[in-house]
Amino acid sequence: MTSSLGNFSLWLSLLFSISQFFFSRKKNQLNFIAISVNGLLITSLLSFLLLMYAHVISDFSLVNVFQNSHTTKPLIYKISGVWGNHEGSMLLWILVLTMFNYFIYKLYNKENSIFIFKTLETQSFITIGFILFTILTSNPFKKMLSIEENGLGFNPILQDPALAIHPPLLYLGYVGFSAAFSMSVATLSLSKNETIFWYNYMKPFVMAAWTFLSIGIALGSLWAYYELGWGGWWFWDPVENASFMPWLLGTALLHSLIVVEKKKSLQAWVLLLAILAFLLSVVGTFLVRSGILTSVHTFALDPSRGMYILIFTAILGIYSLVLFGSKSKKYFDNNYFSFFSKEGAILINNIFMVIVCATVFLGTIYPLLVESITSNKISVGEPYYNSTVIPIIMPAILIMGIGPILSWGKENKLEIIKKILPTTFVTLLMTILIFSFYELYSVIGVFGIFLAFWIISNNLFILYKKKINHQIGMIVAHLGVGLLILGITGSSIWQIEKITKMKINNEIKINNYNILFNQIKEIKGPNYLALEGNFLVYNNNKNLIATLKPQNRFYPITGNYTSEVSIDTNFLRDLYIVLGKGNKDIGWTVRAYYNPLVIWIWIGSFVIFLGGIISINRNLKNLPK
Amino acid sequence: MNKYLLKFPIFLFIIVLLVFFYLLIIERNPSEIPSALLNKKIKNFESESLLKGEKFFSSNYIGKEIILVNFFASWCKPCRDEHIFIKKFADKNLKVIGINYKDNPEKAIKWLKKLGNPYSDIAIDNKGKIAINWGVYGIPETFIIDSKGVVKYRHVGPVTKKIYRKMNLLLKEIK
Repeated sequence: MTSSLGNFSLWLSLLFSISQFFFSRKKNQLNFIAISVNGLLITSLLSFLLLMYAHVISDFSLVNVFQNSHTTKPLIYKISGVWGNHEGSMLLWILVLTMFNYFIYKLYNKENSIFIFKTLETQSFITIGFILFTILTSNPFKKMLSIEENGLGFNPILQDPALAIHPPLLYLGYVGFSAAFSMSVATLSLSKNETIFWYNYMKPFVMAAWTFLSIGIALGSLWAYYELGWGGWWFWDPVENASFMPWLLGTALLHSLIVVEKKKSLQAWVLLLAILAFLLSVVGTFLVRSGILTSVHTFALDPSRGMYILIFTAILGIYSLVLFGSKSKKYFDNNYFSFFSKEGAILINNIFMVIVCATVFLGTIYPLLVESITSNKISVGEPYYNSTVIPIIMPAILIMGIGPILSWGKENKLEIIKKILPTTFVTLLMTILIFSFYELYSVIGVFGIFLAFWIISNNLFILYKKKINHQIGMIVAHLGVGLLILGITGSSIWQIEKITKMKINNEIKINNYNILFNQIKEIKGPNYLALEGNFLVYNNNKNLIATLKPQNRFYPITGNYTSEVSIDTNFLRDLYIVLGKGNKDIGWTVRAYYNPLVIWIWIGSFVIFLGGIISINRNLKNLPK
Repeated sequence: MNKYLLKFPIFLFIIVLLVFFYLLIIERNPSEIPSALLNKKIKNFESESLLKGEKFFSSNYIGKEIILVNFFASWCKPCRDEHIFIKKFADKNLKVIGINYKDNPEKAIKWLKKLGNPYSDIAIDNKGKIAINWGVYGIPETFIIDSKGVVKYRHVGPVTKKIYRKMNLLLKEIK
């Protein structure tokens, strides 16, 4: 029943997307377009809800439910299990795509009809591609041939609240860039005498995509931090990079869009960035779902899926880039920027972002490149990224600190120095203060902390002066970046790691804390059994300040072991304990971390998200009527 | 603006596409780990024979002719999947030596009775020591060893149709 209904609505979606494609190519077919857009939205919502229903009632007549669910799974993870697997996540992808499609359609008015129709045409082409992909290679409504009492269960490390909302947010980001892509293609396809304020339409979509991508990446990182138990929050995993690259280009895109809006410069550059940001999102999807590389994210290997996405990417990429190569001339200008101006700062920042993106891209595909030429296996890891990305991103952040203070056009250099004098002073003071507290020096660390306070103090300064002409959302988001850098720097340079075998009543010392392992007991969870250690944390004055209870879980249904980290957090540091394998006689392997300032990574990310939301709101109000 | 500069993105994009395309069509396993033993002589070892009730001497087989060495266990589902291909090798008069990894001998014998026995001889590796010496990553794993006792090929994971063809080509080359 669910299977046939689901298939039916999937095919209906395909039909609506095809009809949208055809009618948006014709003139004056607004009614048919309206039917297609709404029909597409309703049918893809229906397919998504049907699959969710099947997961909630544990309908094991569907292969998808059988392979990814189990009756004992808590309800929230039955729901999030819908997008926790490849097929279901494609339905979510399509749903988000059709939602953005609907928003684009809503922008229609008499003046912009050519532009909106062209955008809807490209958007429907992308939608057709993804719906066909789902039907042909990844149908979530495939029926089981046998009748099963229960499912195979869901990977326990994915049963987590942060991870439940991580994919939807990421998809809002990736798919949001599809709107920018379609608008860029539409702008490039306009004939010579047609002009449109395309950048005003593009901006809220880019803003939304960037905002959700930011918080999506942050949640994934948060999950990796407390669920994987490796003590860190970013591992330069190819799939992390796949989300980081569109984010970098999105950041560049967002800022140069402001320059286009104010100065009408950089138009061709922005059109190219919009194309590349979405192409990188699709390439990311390809990397994750083709099985071309291995990582924690890779779904079941299936070469036919990879081939399909690759061909689809090729069509999108070749079409849009050839269009750019042949039609972008009219968007070039010969405006020269002064270095000391807002647009100058944004342009330089843009260049840095693109270079970082290119560096990450090279690191991600270099092993694949080498393998295809020499068939040797190499791996590119943290040392490469740390030694390339950090030095490039540092000057960008330095500029970011003064960008918001600078005015458009030419700026008096003396004025700038006057403006930044107080904040430079505050920054230096805070840097010295922080280093006298943590007492461990490294060049990168000094720079990192300096830059963090540089951003924070400059933005607080602007807020204090209450300059209304400054966008409040931007200030908040920049403030978030400052806090983020503080957390990243602190946890990177002052982290302490201790790995030892511990028996009951053993003690370890980490930083200024003594940690006593006082007992271990067995506990029973809803769908797992666990061994829980009890660790008492004492400070220098021998006062008990926290009890940490890391667990070693066994999920009988899937046969997985996982370790649940236990963390004691405050604004200055995290104490992080992982219980490893062992027994009473030989003791247990225990890993303990002292991670300073980690919480500021999450606070910073949330503040960035908040700033983004405020900006989206402002930009929607500024849309041309 | 330079005409060629505008074509640069598309040029770069096509190169990346070609690399991806090539990697998709060639037979490759992203989790494959290159063997340190490749093109090196394998050390001889002793163990118990699973079926013959006597000692197993690897020197009886290694270095005499081209052989296939297959690590398997009755508890391993992919081993069952690849069994049909291992039998095909044996049918082609290739000597196949099995190494029964961390298994219950009774269950292993039962398993072979049910699915057929392609192995000329089987060494018992109940502690996984042989596997460690061979650098086995996870079973099933299959090695081709030439008549000089040199490891010519190693495959991690089940032998599939494609791998089977690839191994046959390699076997012809060695001969």
